[in-house]
Amino acid sequence: MKDIKIDYAQLLETNNLIQQNADETYWLCATRTVQESKIFPVSAYILFSYLNCFYRFPELLKKIEAVMPAEDVGDRARIQGLKIVAWTIPCFYLLGREALINWGVIKPTDAIEDVIYVMDFWKRFQLSWHRNNGNITNKQAGHRAQILPEYTLQVMHADAFECKSGDSLHAAAQAFMAAVAQYGFLVSCESRLTIHNHGPYKISDNREMIVRDFRELAQYDFPWLDTVGKEIPFNNLSVALILEDCHISLLDDWGSFESEPEMRAEHIVGVGLYTSDNLTEGRVPVAMDSRESLENMFNELTEKLKVATNDLWKEMAGWTRDQQLDAGALVYFGCAKELAHIAGVYEMEDWMMIDNRAERFRPLLNDEYGNLFLGELVGFISCPSQQMNKYTMMQHTDQPARALSYIPYSVLKDEPFTRTVGAIKGGVTSLSAKEDLYRTSEGTFPLKEYNALSKNFTPKVCSDEFRFLCADWIKYHHYTPKANALFSIEQELSRNLKGKGASLTRDEIEGLRKK
Amino acid sequence: MSKLYCDNDKYGYQCDFPISEAYNSAVKDLVRRSYEKFGGKWQDFVFKNEFDFVKKENMLEIESNLLDFGYKFEPSAMSSSRERPNAYKASDLYDEDFSFEHEEAPTSRVDKNGLELCGVGDNVVSHDSNFRGTALYVRTIDKVLECLEGVAERTIAIVDDSGGTLTAPVLQYFSGVLCAGGTARSHLAILTREYNIPCLMNVKLKGIKDGDQLELEVTAQSKTAEDYDAGRDVTANVWRLHSD
Repeated sequence: MKDIKIDYAQLLETNNLIQQNADETYWLCATRTVQESKIFPVSAYILFSYLNCFYRFPELLKKIEAVMPAEDVGDRARIQGLKIVAWTIPCFYLLGREALINWGVIKPTDAIEDVIYVMDFWKRFQLSWHRNNGNITNKQAGHRAQILPEYTLQVMHADAFECKSGDSLHAAAQAFMAAVAQYGFLVSCESRLTIHNHGPYKISDNREMIVRDFRELAQYDFPWLDTVGKEIPFNNLSVALILEDCHISLLDDWGSFESEPEMRAEHIVGVGLYTSDNLTEGRVPVAMDSRESLENMFNELTEKLKVATNDLWKEMAGWTRDQQLDAGALVYFGCAKELAHIAGVYEMEDWMMIDNRAERFRPLLNDEYGNLFLGELVGFISCPSQQMNKYTMMQHTDQPARALSYIPYSVLKDEPFTRTVGAIKGGVTSLSAKEDLYRTSEGTFPLKEYNALSKNFTPKVCSDEFRFLCADWIKYHHYTPKANALFSIEQELSRNLKGKGASLTRDEIEGLRKK
Repeated sequence: MSKLYCDNDKYGYQCDFPISEAYNSAVKDLVRRSYEKFGGKWQDFVFKNEFDFVKKENMLEIESNLLDFGYKFEPSAMSSSRERPNAYKASDLYDEDFSFEHEEAPTSRVDKNGLELCGVGDNVVSHDSNFRGTALYVRTIDKVLECLEGVAERTIAIVDDSGGTLTAPVLQYFSGVLCAGGTARSHLAILTREYNIPCLMNVKLKGIKDGDQLELEVTAQSKTAEDYDAGRDVTANVWRLHSD
C-alpha cells in the first residue's frame, strides 16, 4: 500500500482527480436523468449508499491493498471483466462527503487522508484497468473503452458466429440480451450496475465489436439471489457483439454506449458468449463449439432468466421500504466488492451491511427529500458547498459551481484537519440472512473456501512470467516462443485459434473467419 | 451558539428546493447545538464524540417536526405510501378512470383520417411503420400482477416511471410503450430497444383512457444524445383513432 503524504504535490493531484470526476459526474447524471421506480425508492437509496461509501471505502480498500495493490487488482479485473468502478468508486465516495459537508456534519478539511487514499487507489486501479489504452477513464479516452488485449480480442473475433437479422441464432442472441438486461436491472434494484459494456474494437472497415459484460447473475453476494440465483448456471456472462455499418460513437464511464446510426437488431452480424471470474484464465467460451450449441445455450439461459425475473420481482415487490432501501444502497455501495473477491478478502459483514454511521441518517431519506436533494447534488449542482465565486464557469454549464469540493490547500499551513473517519464499528441490514454459498466458475463454495481459492489463484497472464508483456512488447516480439506462450493461454479453449501463435494480424483473422 | 464551517460560506447560501433546505438546515442546526454542547475542538468532535450527539433519534425528530406542520411527502416507491399513509400524499395510482393530463401535451381535433392528436413523446428507435394498439395504464404492482395472467395482443402500456423494474416480468408482452418520464437513454428505453418494442419516452399526453385505440408515430426520428444536449425538441406524435 502506498504511503500517504499530505503535501502540496499530493493535494494538487488529489484535487485534480476530484475535478475530473466532478465534471464527468455532472455530464453523466444530466444526460441520463433520474431513474424512478414504483418498486424502489431509488434516489433515497442512492443517497444512503453514498454515505455508506464515505464511511466504509477507506478501510475496505485498505483491506484489499493489504493483500494486493490496487494496480494488481486492476490487472486481474481487466482479464475477468468487472462492474462499473470507473465512476462509482470515487464519485459515490465523494458525493457522500459532499452530502455530509452540506449537512455541516463534516468540513472539507475532514478525513483528508481518506480522501487522498481513495482517490489514489482509484487512480492506480484505473490506470491498470486502462493499461491497454493509456487513459485513466473512458472520458479521457474520448468516451471510448478499449480495455482488452489483442490476444483476447483475437479469440473473440475469430470465434464469433456470423448471424443476420431473422436467423435463429440472431433471434436467440437478441432474446437473451433483452432477458439478461431486464433481469440485470431488477437484480441491481433499478441501477445499471449489472451491465457493463466496453469497446469499440475495430474488426474491419465497416465492422466494430463491443463486449457486453453481465455481472453477478447467480447466487453470490446479494442475499436476494440466494434462491432465484441458484438456477442461473453462470454468475458472469459476456457477449462479444460484432456490428456492421454501426459505429459506437460513445462509450461512457457508466459502461453505456451510443452509436451512429442508432444500433438496431440488423446491425448485429456476429456473436459469441463467454464467462469469467477471478478464478478463470481470462474469458472462457460458453457453448462456442458450434452455432447450434450457442443458440441452444442462449435459449436455455433466456428461459431461466425469465423465470428468475418473475420470481425475483414478486419477492422484491413484497419487500418493506427498508429492505428496498438497504438492497439498493448495498448494490451501489457494493460496486467495489468484486475487488475484495479478487484479493480473496471479501467478507459479508464488510460489504452487505449499512454502516452504523450512515444508518443514523435513514429517517431523513424519504422519497421526496431523496429525489430533490440528490437532484441538487448531481443534477442542478445547486447545493451551497458546490457554489463558487461568480467568475467561475463550470464545464458543460458555465455555472459558477463545482460539483465536488476540493481538499483546501490551507491544511498544509495552519488550518486544522482530521485524517480519517476511523474504523468500521458494525452495521445493520433489514435483508434476510445471506446463505453462505457463492457460485464461481469452479463450483459453489462457502465464503471461506472461496476466499482461499481466490488468494491462491493467479491467472497465468498475471504471473511474473507474463504480467509485463504488454502490447508494446508484443509489437516487437510476436515471433518469439514467449509471445506464443502468452497468446496460447487465451487460445487454449478457442475453436479457431488454438495453437495459432502470436503473429496473426486482425486482417488475417478476418480472412480465417471468411473461410 | 457555535458556528459551523459552512456558516461562513462566501458563495453558497442555501439549496434551491425548500424541502432540501429545510432538512439540511435542520441537520446543521442539530450539529451546531451538539458541537456547542460538546464544547471541545472540532477535531475531537467529528468522527469521535459526534456519535453521542448526532443520532438516529435526532433525525426522526427532524422528520416529525416537519410532519407536525401537516406536510406530506411526494411518494415515489409504492412501499413508501403503503407503509406510512400519514407521511405521504395520497396517490391516484388506483384511479380506474385515470388519464394523464399534461398541460404541455399538444392536441388537435379529429382529422379526415380519423386521427386525433393526444400528445407527443421522445422516440427511442425509428421503426419502419407507425404502430397501432390499445392503451393500458400500468402504474401499480397489482396491475403488473394482472398482466402476468395475460396481456391482449397489440397492447400499448402507459407507465409513469422510466425505470425498468416495475414492468420487469411483463414488459416483453407489450407491443408498445408510452412512458411519462425519462429520456431515450433511460433504463426502460434501453429495455424496449432490446425487446424491439416501439416506445416513446417523456410523453406529454391528454385524455387517453384505458382501451383507447392509439397510433404511435414511431417512424419519427429518434431523439439522440445531441438533441438532448442541445435542448432540441424532437418529438413523435400520439394519436387516438376514431373509426367513424
